[in-house]
Amino acid sequence: MILYLIISSLIAASAFVLRSRRQIYMIGAAFYTVQILLAAGLLTGLYGETSAEIFTFDAAGTLFYLLLTVVSAFAFFHSEAYLKQNDPDQTAVYSALLMLLTTACAGVYFSNNLAVTWILLETTTLCSAGIVYHRRTADALEAAWKYLFVCSTGIAIAYLGILLLCATTSSGSLSYEAVRAAATGGNPLYLKIAFLLILSGYSCKAELFPLYTVGVDANFAAPSPASALISTGLVNAGFLAIYRVYKVLTPTEIFPWVQNVLLLTGVLSLVIGALFLRRTNNYKRFLSYSTVENMGIAAIGLGIGGLGVWAAVFHVACHTLIKSSLFLQMAVVRQIYNGYRINRLGDYIRINRTGAIGLLIGMVVLVAFPPSPLFVSELMILKQIVADERWWIVVAMILLVCIVIYSFCSRLIRLCYQPNQDELHPSKSDRTLSWSALLLLCGAMVVGLWQPEALTDLIDRIVSL
Amino acid sequence: MITALILLYVVTLVHISITERFRNFASIMSLQGWILFAIALLRLQAIHPAELAFVAVETMVFKAILVPAILTAVIRRTKINRVSTSGTSQFGSLLMSLTALIVSASITYCIADSIVDRVFFGVALYALLSGLSLIVLRTRLFSHMIGFLVIENGVFLFSMAIGVEMPLVINIAILLDILMSVLMLGIFFTRIDHKIHADDADSLTHVKD
Repeated sequence: MILYLIISSLIAASAFVLRSRRQIYMIGAAFYTVQILLAAGLLTGLYGETSAEIFTFDAAGTLFYLLLTVVSAFAFFHSEAYLKQNDPDQTAVYSALLMLLTTACAGVYFSNNLAVTWILLETTTLCSAGIVYHRRTADALEAAWKYLFVCSTGIAIAYLGILLLCATTSSGSLSYEAVRAAATGGNPLYLKIAFLLILSGYSCKAELFPLYTVGVDANFAAPSPASALISTGLVNAGFLAIYRVYKVLTPTEIFPWVQNVLLLTGVLSLVIGALFLRRTNNYKRFLSYSTVENMGIAAIGLGIGGLGVWAAVFHVACHTLIKSSLFLQMAVVRQIYNGYRINRLGDYIRINRTGAIGLLIGMVVLVAFPPSPLFVSELMILKQIVADERWWIVVAMILLVCIVIYSFCSRLIRLCYQPNQDELHPSKSDRTLSWSALLLLCGAMVVGLWQPEALTDLIDRIVSL
Repeated sequence: MITALILLYVVTLVHISITERFRNFASIMSLQGWILFAIALLRLQAIHPAELAFVAVETMVFKAILVPAILTAVIRRTKINRVSTSGTSQFGSLLMSLTALIVSASITYCIADSIVDRVFFGVALYALLSGLSLIVLRTRLFSHMIGFLVIENGVFLFSMAIGVEMPLVINIAILLDILMSVLMLGIFFTRIDHKIHADDADSLTHVKD
């Protein structure tokens, strides 16, 4: 793993000094060859191994790493087409940061140590802030500043929680396994405070309540292909960091309290996501609030426990493919309209039929209509909630999901069918990008119809970590 | 001796809540840096001398000298000297700070656990709440930066409580300090005032719904 981190980082960093598109493209190809080699290694013999005592190639890391490799490769090659009009120097920095972000996320996935997870999450902040500032505009600077400031504060708060967790358990080590083994003897009040601090801090990465806003702003300012990675790969890193702490606290007496906190966080995230989906007038912010809403559903799954945990992991995994596809489709929308304003754009079905169909299918899949894999996960979560007779959550969830469905249908149908505004002058776009983004969506729908045994087996192992 | 230093540290936190001049903020951050340097020297004597030297030098150079110097340079460059009058009053800030102190002390008292050093934990919690209240209540970006630095110092203080057993955690806390503070102060110093006037946080409201 250390070798992987060094090689990937060096390849990514070399892109900083490149000045031609062809060279950046070649470096990208080399970088993704390394990712594929690691993925192949995981599928053949690396799985289950520990590296340098701080990384373990476990089920959770493997599943999310495979998804990250796919999404990041799509984001990179879409970016090359999307940003071809940009200054090559800026594109070089952007590409390098995109690859470094991928490397840092991979490190977070495989980390088996609280401190290493924290360091690598901090690294993702640096990479993401640079990507968000790519356009060098006042809005991009504002979003980058907010992202850097809030994430740094959040990460510092999370570190205080990690310190408290380690001090309380007196494990002498920061590995998840050691802390988990020692956690049963920890002072319950300290453990509760530690969990609250860690959850609050990492919520800026997982796009959950309370620090979800920075993710929305970052996705708004970053180029769309990068948003596809930030809104999935990076969010998954935050989710996994919280999930591993959740698992550390499983054997403790405060675990029911932890579940209730996650339930509350999930419901609040769902409320915010659903309400802001109605309020926002920007398609990228719209998709970002959808991420908040979906991560809220995943948090509810973790909070409800039982079948809900399996469903939460499955939900996050499938959301990765769907949301990245929609963000990549949005990149084409921007190429055509040079903007994302909901009340101005229209006629997309006539201008770019493939892209419009991609968005409409994406809409159906994201609002969890069959054959969406999200239908499977949300149904499982609801079944578990009903089995537990927590009726207030059932009512809240159904009501909020109805708002989400209405918002999605009204906004995306408007983009495809409402008359375009006179002032807008649609420009040419690369339609192959729409086809390419559609591939990710097709992958998600296949998983919705048929879950391969390897996938269910991986999720079973993640749940039983 | 350590207890006396920590008490002095608490006094600086209370003072920050009523400070209105930005030069005083920079001076208080410098004082906190020197206090943390002294605590590190006294508290971490059991760790490896090389590690102790690294921690001490980093704390002194970075927290006591470099960061306050950058803050002073920012004040000179932006010519913003006082907390905006549209923020909360001195009395309100003091009340908030004392409430945070009482909350921190109460939580620490309720826990009554010998495993974690209660004094360090209580003060770190107070620093966290003080920093958050500076970020939430004050309108100027400079105050937000100070709030972040106050939180960082609190985290660093708490890392020293368990750093004797796990020196790694202190090194990581230092990593956080150097990486994020330099980057944020750097952006603030070189970028913000060029494209966005580094006056009120109100100027950072274009990216919203």
